[in-house]
Amino acid sequence: MSRQGGCSCAHDHDCESNDCGPAWSLYQHIDTPRVWCLNELEEHSVWQCFRPWEQRLESAQPPLRSNEDDAELLIHVPFNGSIKVRAISIIGGSNGSAPAEMRAFLNREDLDFGVVADMQPTQKWDLQENGNGQLEYPTNAAKFNGVHSIDLHIPNNFGADQTEIHFIGFKGEYTQSKREAVNVVYEARALPQDHKVPGEDRKMPELM
Amino acid sequence: MEAVVVCVDNSEWTRNGDYAPTRIRAQTDAVNLLAGAKLQTNPENTVGVLTMAGKSPKVLVTPTPSLGKILNAMHDVDVDGQANFDSSVQIAQLALKHRQNKNQRQRIVLFMGSPISETKDKLVKTAKKLKKNNVAVDIVSFGCEEENSEKLEGFQQAVNSGDNSHLVTVPQGGVLSDTLFGSPICQTDGGAGYGAGPGGEGGEAGGSYQFGVDPNLDPELALALRVSLEEEQARQTSGPSGEPVTAAAEALQVPPGETQAEAGSTATPAATPAVTPAAPAAAPSNDGPEPMDEDALLQQALAMSMQEEQPAPSGAGAELAATPAAAPAPASTPAAPGAPAHPPRPAGHGDEAMADAEGEDEALQMALQMSMQEDQPPSQGGGNGQHQGGS
Repeated sequence: MSRQGGCSCAHDHDCESNDCGPAWSLYQHIDTPRVWCLNELEEHSVWQCFRPWEQRLESAQPPLRSNEDDAELLIHVPFNGSIKVRAISIIGGSNGSAPAEMRAFLNREDLDFGVVADMQPTQKWDLQENGNGQLEYPTNAAKFNGVHSIDLHIPNNFGADQTEIHFIGFKGEYTQSKREAVNVVYEARALPQDHKVPGEDRKMPELM
Repeated sequence: MEAVVVCVDNSEWTRNGDYAPTRIRAQTDAVNLLAGAKLQTNPENTVGVLTMAGKSPKVLVTPTPSLGKILNAMHDVDVDGQANFDSSVQIAQLALKHRQNKNQRQRIVLFMGSPISETKDKLVKTAKKLKKNNVAVDIVSFGCEEENSEKLEGFQQAVNSGDNSHLVTVPQGGVLSDTLFGSPICQTDGGAGYGAGPGGEGGEAGGSYQFGVDPNLDPELALALRVSLEEEQARQTSGPSGEPVTAAAEALQVPPGETQAEAGSTATPAATPAVTPAAPAAAPSNDGPEPMDEDALLQQALAMSMQEEQPAPSGAGAELAATPAAAPAPASTPAAPGAPAHPPRPAGHGDEAMADAEGEDEALQMALQMSMQEDQPPSQGGGNGQHQGGS
């Protein structure tokens, strides 16, 4: 439970007896089919990273791995609503394959490795290798309000050829909001009877 | 949903005529086909075109959903210089990066018809970069397939991620468009490409669904298609008899009943009026699918000949025999028109002989008779004469 490089362990109690689960419930609000990860070895293996807190150490599916000889990963996580992220938890693999650094970008749809290399992240953390899931990395609360999507860029790991991530958790609050047209009717062809304006029921003179 | 950039090889090597008419023209056809297929598969797909040779690779068309622009651009491609593989791929990647719709997947389709000057290592390095950025690359190798095969195979293996990238080699003398059309490059997204091959649409387009529509994705459309098919089948089976029946057996019984009543009650001159009312009824059903009802036609012809031979026994009519020979009319329905066809046959002929050897001829004659009657309604007497064939 040490404080190093911006990480902190907020659990000075036994996690199992005190139920931390509900606080980490943001995984339910992740729009999983739209999550993508660049440089992952197997397509969609990133989806298994988002699980309930109670299951953070066990998983039926293989972890997210980057391509061989390349430790970089870029994960795009869109949400179904508006989130205030208070902390992020990330569990990496062993033998040096855990991520060493994490950079977060908010509300961007257009990132790839070329863009993120030069960009200033909203926040970045140096990660600890040993993650039994006891470590969480708190965010700068003021910047992490009104989040619709997070992009996590992992530039390097602790020396292995591949980066492995077993679990990613978000702690915070969720408010329902949708960024889309509120009341829309799509017409293939406009019909006058669908567009009656009250008070305009006098007949139009025949022009033909 | 994808954005595709097509890289066209317009180097000097493509003046070669080994792919008809020249390599560059064969490429043009192939690109047009591919662009059409991609744009049809998904309305949100975009396709762009880039030329690889000349002073430097040039993007002729940025990814666009408009096929016209692509066709125009391909029309104006000039042959000049040497193709630069690595540089073209990087520029294509950049064009894809700046696509309008970030939700589209990125794909490069590259035509290689000249020797590659870069080393295999350089190509593999570029391929890894593409794979990292989730860009799929399809390569069509022609012209210099053997020289390039090792390099291109190495490239394709390095860029392939989950079978999204393909290498297609077109052998000497082959047709680029056809090979491309049958390859996995055009047949993507569940085989829903441009018609999915000849005759493939019935069972194969869209996977294994009838009508090519997934009932899960679009239940209303699938239902509408199924209902309309059933209605069409019902209409066709009921068409020939002029009544709403569903079985050929029922259809068979009704017309004999009609003609028997009419033929029995009237003398031969009245056979014509009996025929003409039936003819208009039969006429619309002429459009029904004949092959489906051939058995029914056959049996109706048999039945009717049996009836007609009783009230109107007539000798063989030379005129009538001549006319059917002259008219190669298509098969038609067997309503009353079947009757006039029979008199020319010698009365002694068994029905079996007719059935076995001349079922179709009967049908032809029926059709002929009907058309002649319709043409000459006032001259029913003449029609009569033709019926009787000289009784």
